[in-house]
Formats: sequence, structure tokens, C-alpha cells
Amino acid sequence: MWDFFISIFVNVLIWIYDVVGNNFGLAIILFTILIRIVTWPLNAQQMKGAAAMQELQSDKEWQAIQKKYAKDKEKLAQEQMRVYREKGINPFSSCLPTLIQFPIIIALYQSIIRALASTPLDLLKLSRSISLPNVSDLIPLNSKFLWMDLGRPEAVVIFGLAIPTLALIVAITTYIQAKLTMPTSTTPGDQSAAMSGMMSIYMPLLLGYFALTFASGLSVYFITSNVLGIVQYAMQGKANWRNLIPGALQKK
Amino acid sequence: MRKKFILVITILLGAVLLSACAGGPVHGSTWSGLAADGSTVYLADGSVYAVNLSDGKPLWRYPGSTKLAFYAPPVVTPDGLVIIGSAGTDHSLIAINPRDINPETNAPVDAWKFTGAADHWVAAPLVVDNKLFAPNSDGNLYILDLQDGQSVKDATVVELGGRLWAQPRTDGERVYITSLDHSVFAVDADTYDVVWHENLGGAVPGSVVLSEDGMLYVGSLASRLEKFDPATGKHQAVVDAENWVWSTPALEGDTLYFGDVDGNFYAFNTSTGKLNWNPVKPDGPITASPLIKDDHILLATESGSVFAIGIDGKTVWTQKIGGKIYTTPVTAGDLIIVAPLETDFYLAALNANGGQVWTFTPEN
Repeated sequence: MWDFFISIFVNVLIWIYDVVGNNFGLAIILFTILIRIVTWPLNAQQMKGAAAMQELQSDKEWQAIQKKYAKDKEKLAQEQMRVYREKGINPFSSCLPTLIQFPIIIALYQSIIRALASTPLDLLKLSRSISLPNVSDLIPLNSKFLWMDLGRPEAVVIFGLAIPTLALIVAITTYIQAKLTMPTSTTPGDQSAAMSGMMSIYMPLLLGYFALTFASGLSVYFITSNVLGIVQYAMQGKANWRNLIPGALQKK
Repeated sequence: MRKKFILVITILLGAVLLSACAGGPVHGSTWSGLAADGSTVYLADGSVYAVNLSDGKPLWRYPGSTKLAFYAPPVVTPDGLVIIGSAGTDHSLIAINPRDINPETNAPVDAWKFTGAADHWVAAPLVVDNKLFAPNSDGNLYILDLQDGQSVKDATVVELGGRLWAQPRTDGERVYITSLDHSVFAVDADTYDVVWHENLGGAVPGSVVLSEDGMLYVGSLASRLEKFDPATGKHQAVVDAENWVWSTPALEGDTLYFGDVDGNFYAFNTSTGKLNWNPVKPDGPITASPLIKDDHILLATESGSVFAIGIDGKTVWTQKIGGKIYTTPVTAGDLIIVAPLETDFYLAALNANGGQVWTFTPEN
């Protein structure tokens, strides 16, 4: 089943690669846009959830239970869940698109590795994954894109130092995206805000680590996906630009 | 709190799953490299193993790691060094000396190391007198002087392009190299100039064969067997196969034997320009090159079988080894050595009738 899923990714990637004139980097970017379109309903749901969470912060009942149960964390959590239930809010909805990304990331990583086929066995597996006609003239795929070899981790050597530029861009764009979509909370002890805050720290580090370690084609996916996410939020006027300013929440 | 825990676990699980994709030198990551001399079998399967030909007992192991992972067929030089190329993150080509074993590690000591390549070593290098013609996945042919251990650091580089996955062949005048960028190159053996360069319309993962009629033959992923004039590079398709021709054809007299990844096995007569018989279909895809032994053609399939086929195309015997066989078997002494994947053992030795003589499983 999983292999079938990978095969779909591989075929779509190779088809785009063929259409755009044998450019695998461009194929990954267009593929990412396609993924964003397919996962659009999930993203929309996430934005809706984030907006609901935002509104909740100014809800009087919400503020009252925060004060009332400030010293009883267990009771506070129970009351919060009750309010979530009553108002039809899923506190995890803002995390969902991030979590949905994981199977896509894993499948895309395996698809890139399979499509670029750096070993004989990979090349043989690739031949079995492709259902497009006349691909023998496309294989092996050109793994070069700008300064990168998409099948390898990326680093630019500046004055003898290998700088992982893509990993840095991945970490920065992931941080920006996470911060922009994070609901503003002024309530101390708000677990969902704490969770979002935690995600905005861990996810850039995690994805940055992936970008540092794995094929740079995956970094192209991360960056494209993050930039599209940022643009999407900004265009819908739902981006919290204030969250990018360190300490903005505390001052409020 | 519980939900936070689930979230973190989910992220970590994703990280672990993705990390598992990268891996180190693992048996089965790709197919192994196999070689043998009169007394020893050399297997590159992450680490490099030396096994006693007569009984399958381990002699030594040169350990692999994520940095150094060996899958290219080892090559034994006339002075007894074993050359192994890494497909790990370190792209070294190393000559190890089996006569100089470190007693603490039971691994041979490095005689020299060439670190000038930029990508994986998949192909076995070719030794010609004191020169080593070493094709790398970075598209370069590195020509090393083997006269002493120091000269190898100053390799001559011939930039060809594409990934070079097959061992070069030579007729003494020119060295022929194939590339996954669909090309076959002829390089002057003395000046290292590219004499000609031809495109076959499909990647070429196998080596060329020099036939008795003075022509070159090579298969490609364009599903064709092509015939070349070695002087000019002028070529034409002589067999349209059903699917990719991965393996290097084996030559016996005026007949070339080769298989395709659909599992068809062909016998092409270079004198008549026709197939000797309609392709036979043993039992699975063929990526390993056939071997000629005595009056038989030995053939290994992905289905884990070894076939002895007569020159009339009839099967003489079959031995089911198990697992999947992609690596070209080797013959040494009276034995046929096979390196399957997805089995408990890494090597199996068969006698001339296909009977299993020994198997080799590395110690943990």
C-alpha cells in the first residue's frame, strides 16, 4: 500500500519533470503546489480553528475559568475541554496540517530518493514504479538544480566553511509560518497556546535537522510549502505578524 | 498533558521513520559486489568480506560504516592488493593489503587511499598494467598510477559525464566506458583523449563486450543491444529486447548471451546477426550478467534461482538459492559463487552440477 503511494508520487514527479523540460527542482516545486492544493481543505480547517482559538482568548467565560482555576491545573484543563466542546473548537486543529505533513514528507523523501536512484537497486525499483510511457530517455533524472544536487544534503562553502543555507532557510521559514499561524494568547497557563509555542520552536529545529541531513530535494519541498503557507495566510489576512516580534505577547 | 505527549511522540515517530530512510551500510541496500581469485572470495556488501574459497570460512572483514560503505565489486591487482570503492558519505577508493592484517581488528591495513572523487563508487575499476581506470558516479574517469602507493593521489581525470556504473573494457588501444547519461565513450589508452562519444537513447549500466568479429556490443535501458565499430563509434541496434538490458552480455564463440529485466534470455549470433533461438524466460528478471562455464551458460535471476542453460537454449539444471539475485555470480576453481539478497546467508557456493557446497553468513 505504502509502495503504491510512493509510486503515485514518483509518477507525478517524473511527469512534471518531463513537462517542465527535465528540471527536477522545478518538478518538486510544482508538486508541492499540487500538494498544497490537495490539502487546501485541511489548511482552511486549520485557519478556521486558529481563528476560533484567537476569538476564544477574549471570551469572558474563558477568561473567568482561567482566573478561577489558576491554581488547579487539572480542573482548569477539564473546564477548558468543556468550553472547547461547547463551542465546537478542536484545540489540535492548528497542529493538524503540520502533522499531516509527516506522511507526505516521508513519502516525498522516498520518492525523491527513488526517482533520483543513486544505487542500482534504486534504479531497478524506479523502473517498476513508473507507469508512464517512454521514460527510458528521461532516466536517470537530472538531479542538479541551481547550485544543488537534489539527491544530497546541501551546503555552500564560503571561506572554507560549509554553510547549510537550505537548512537555515527551512528553519527560518518554518518558524515564520508557525509564528504567523499561532493564536495570540494573553492567558497565563493556556495549554493550547503553550503547545503552539512549543511547536513553533521544535518544528523549525526538526525540519532544519531534516534539511541538514537528508536530500536537498526535501528542503526545496519544505521551503516551497512554508512560503506558500505564509502567502496563503497573509492573503487571507489571518497572519499574526505581531507574533514575529520577540516579546510582543508579553508587552500586550 | 496527555495530548501534548501524543503530539511529541507523533513528531518523534516521524523523525525516526524519516531517519530510517537514510541508513548506513546495510545488507540489501543495493546489490553487492563480488570477486574471486584462486583461493579467496571477496564480497562488498556494506563491509568487505574475504571468504575462503574451499570451505566458505571467513578470513577477514574490512568494516563498513555510514561513511565508508562498499558495494562495488572489489578488484585484485597483480601485486595482491584489493581495491574497494566506497558508496558512503566518504567517496574514497581504497587499496587494502590482505597480507597485512591488523591483529586487533582482523582487518587488512590500507595500502593507499584515493580521495579525489566526488560521488559513489559503483563500478569496479579496470587494471591495465600499472594503471587503474576507475569510473565514478561523478561522471569522471580517474586514471591512477599503481607503480607506488603515492602516485595515486595525482590521478588523471577524464571528464565524461553522467554516472559511470560499469567496469571499463579495453582492447589495448582504447578504453571503453559506459554512462547512465545514455553514452558510450572511447578513450585513448595512452593519451586519455576521448576518441568518440555516442548516445544510445537510454542509460547504459553494463559494460561493452569486445567480440571476435572485432566489434563492440552493449545493452542499454533503451531495451536494445547495440553493435559498435570500435574505431569510429558508428553503431546500430541489432536486437530489440522486451525491456531494459541491464547486464553485460557474455561472449562464447560468436554468440552473445544476455538477459532483460522482464526475464527474457537471448542468444545473439554475431556472425549471422540473428538470434540462435527464440528468447527463453527462466523464472524472473535478469540484471546479473551470464557466465560461461564449461559448455553451459550460467544465469542468475531475481527470483533467486541459478540456471545452467545449454547452447541450444535448453535448461540443463536449476538450483533455487532463495532471496533475490542481482549480482553477477563468479566462478572460481570448480565452484560457482552467488551473492543473493534477502536471505540469511550472504554467499552460496555451488558445484558444477548446481549442488550447494557451502554458504557464508557473517558473524555479528
